[in-house]
Amino acid sequence: MDSGVLQAINGVSFAALLFLLASGFTLSFGLMRVVNMAHGAYYLLGGYIGLSITRYTGSFALGILGGGLAIIPIGYLIDRYLIRRTGENHLAQVLLTVGVAFVMGDIALKIWGGDNLKVPTPIELRGAIELPGGIIYPTYRLLLIVFGLIVSLSLWLLYRKTQIGAVVRAGVDDREIVSAVGINIDRLFVLVSALASFLAGIAGVVGGAFLTLYPGAEWEILVYALVVVIFGGLGSLEGAMIGALIVGLLDAYGRWLLPEFSYFVLFGPMAILLLLRPQGLFGREH
Amino acid sequence: MRPYRAILWLLALAAALLAPLLVGQFWMTLITQIYIYGLLALSVDLLLGHAGLYSLCHAAFFAVAAYTTAILQVRYGQPTLIAAPAGIVAGTLLAVIYGVSVRTRGVYFILITIALGYVLWGAVYRWASFTGGDNGITNVPPPSVAGITVSSQTAYYYLVLAVVILCALGYRILIASPFGLSLRGIKASESRMRSLGYRTTLHLYAAFVISGAMASLAGVLYVYYNRFINPVAASFQISVEVSLMAIVGGSGTIIGPFLGSGIVLGLRNWVSSFFEFHAAIMGLAFIATVLWAPTGIVGFVNRLRARDATAKEKAPKEKPQ
Amino acid sequence: MSAAIEVENLAKVFGGLRAVDGVTLRVAPGERRALIGPNGAGKTTLFHCVTGTQRASSGHVRLFGHDVTQLPEYRRTELGMGRTFQITNVFTELSLAENLALSIIGRDRRKWIFHRPLAAFPAVREHALAGLDAVGLESRADQPVKLLSYGERRQLELALALNTSPRVLFLDEPCAGLSPSERTRIFNMVRALPRHITVVLIEHDMDVALGLADQVTVMHRGRVIAEGTPAVVQGNTEVRDVYFGHV
Repeated sequence: MDSGVLQAINGVSFAALLFLLASGFTLSFGLMRVVNMAHGAYYLLGGYIGLSITRYTGSFALGILGGGLAIIPIGYLIDRYLIRRTGENHLAQVLLTVGVAFVMGDIALKIWGGDNLKVPTPIELRGAIELPGGIIYPTYRLLLIVFGLIVSLSLWLLYRKTQIGAVVRAGVDDREIVSAVGINIDRLFVLVSALASFLAGIAGVVGGAFLTLYPGAEWEILVYALVVVIFGGLGSLEGAMIGALIVGLLDAYGRWLLPEFSYFVLFGPMAILLLLRPQGLFGREH
Repeated sequence: MRPYRAILWLLALAAALLAPLLVGQFWMTLITQIYIYGLLALSVDLLLGHAGLYSLCHAAFFAVAAYTTAILQVRYGQPTLIAAPAGIVAGTLLAVIYGVSVRTRGVYFILITIALGYVLWGAVYRWASFTGGDNGITNVPPPSVAGITVSSQTAYYYLVLAVVILCALGYRILIASPFGLSLRGIKASESRMRSLGYRTTLHLYAAFVISGAMASLAGVLYVYYNRFINPVAASFQISVEVSLMAIVGGSGTIIGPFLGSGIVLGLRNWVSSFFEFHAAIMGLAFIATVLWAPTGIVGFVNRLRARDATAKEKAPKEKPQ
Repeated sequence: MSAAIEVENLAKVFGGLRAVDGVTLRVAPGERRALIGPNGAGKTTLFHCVTGTQRASSGHVRLFGHDVTQLPEYRRTELGMGRTFQITNVFTELSLAENLALSIIGRDRRKWIFHRPLAAFPAVREHALAGLDAVGLESRADQPVKLLSYGERRQLELALALNTSPRVLFLDEPCAGLSPSERTRIFNMVRALPRHITVVLIEHDMDVALGLADQVTVMHRGRVIAEGTPAVVQGNTEVRDVYFGHV
């Protein structure tokens, strides 16, 4: 019983991290019809930058903020000068952004090297807490869950309850009408893109503190984010939340029960999803 | 076939047959590798250039076939006559399972194949007790059938060339067949095809499995060539590179994927001799291709010829005598 | 004798919108039925539900007595339904002959042949050329559709539907966007169709619709508001109101 609960917490904390990455990815697609495979590289680079900032300033909070902010201009440049030239050709977008990710990955390799690096966390976060029921669990991962809840709640409120969120939702629904109504759709794109980049960057710092950062990490985390979006449906924020929970829990239980086959644990439910509802739980039919 | 085209093909064939005599060992093995990856790229292009499906999981079929053959030969001492077909069957079986992905289209299909490819890579990597994990399977013996062992690199070059030529001929019939045309119809307008009575998802599924079988064949050729297999063969990087080969060479043609294979492998070889960050170079190649050469070499040549043709049409009439 | 097409209380609902709101009609074999009505009346949606392009929310569709309501689109085509689309839907990247070839083999097993080239079936090519000739496009058989004008593509659209050997043909605004001479051409082609093919057509051009039809069905806001011969419908005041705006 203990172990089951432990895995559930593992799964939810991983889900929190995945949501940070997947939410930006899914909104980028929903609004801008852009598939940005460099999101994993944003995570990695944001993580490394946050790592350096934390080492230099001694502040984890600054590291998180810095890692996120640093990716915003990078993401903007990539959107504006590269992705925009592909129109809505999704294969071209995939190839282009994979190429960008390769380049970013090598740059990161050159600067930070190939070893596993851990983002240093403040002392207060390094211990463990005793939970009701006698489970001892790392403080950091519990806080990650709280952080994830705060971010998802904020995003959800922004998306569902504010005017700007309504505009974004309208844009996801029908881009042409939004610009016809006179809203500056370009500025909206820049905003959403910046948010996505920021979230990916802070995910890198936050994730790098317990998963460590290393060459290849950008692809491993990206694939998880893709599976989240496959389950949840492209373009849906709620889908990203539910999908993240599904993937996080599947992964945690999979690793615990079948360590050698943990990837297969993802595959089974994916296959069932493909047979029953290929567009994802909250996705649109194509 | 127009005469100049036939001549070009014959020249290419002659060059391929004579290559081992003209170039050194190094180049010959590189060209063998180009053929093998070209076949893999061709398998991807059946879906990409004809059916309009962008699969990024073909390294999975390639690797499963290679691993099956390797494990059967090395660990279970099976002869080539069993190990090689078994490899092709195993890879094709994975395609039969992964073919469920054709229930999606467009970007969903791309994402799902990426995920499926990763699942297989992860399985190969983590199931170390069976696959050898990071270390892979080594000491794969050369293929041997009925007492004849293809041990020299030159002999293997010709074996691969023969297989690739046979495949290309079969592929040529496949894409010219009614089934091939129906794939192109689906790519052009799936809704129209459905209203004409086609069960489009089933056609795409069949194409996916055939494509997987081709990729498996390439995998078997690869493992005897390399005598070694490790999880890198199942990686996303390979799947993406191979789709780049199809595009750079010219998607929708037969020669395109092989040209692309030559370009990509040639580039990688050349760059890695002086620059360790070849992932970045590959990345730049992707970016450059997407931005400036989306129709590939063949497309470029066709555009030149079309421009030539319209220029001739517009040329002023000859002066009266 | 069973109707060629029988639609029974068909409805199609999108969220809150009842695009088709309980439509019942019967088309006799060999009949020419015109389906008219202002924009947004639900005519194209009705077509989609009958041919299987979309699934109806409720109701039944019967083809020569056979209930096809649950069948997928390709099955309905196999059973003899053919259609054209309002927005031209041809294979732009392929040649005209290839377009027709796809239409011709669509209903039979030959479409699955993968081990012999299409060129090995000269009968298909002959059939394709004949089909193109019927719409006056034979001379451009091997050109890509990309080079065709809008009117020519409309003709190709009709040829595609005709060459599936349909028993019931659904034409969705076959004359939309065509010049007068092109309209006449289409009009004559449809008129010349043999009576073993039943024709249902949506058309905004009244001359074409009323000139071809044996019976006319008028739709408005998802419902049938009038039905009868062209003369009867033309004299119907409610129909006139709907078209000239009192509703």
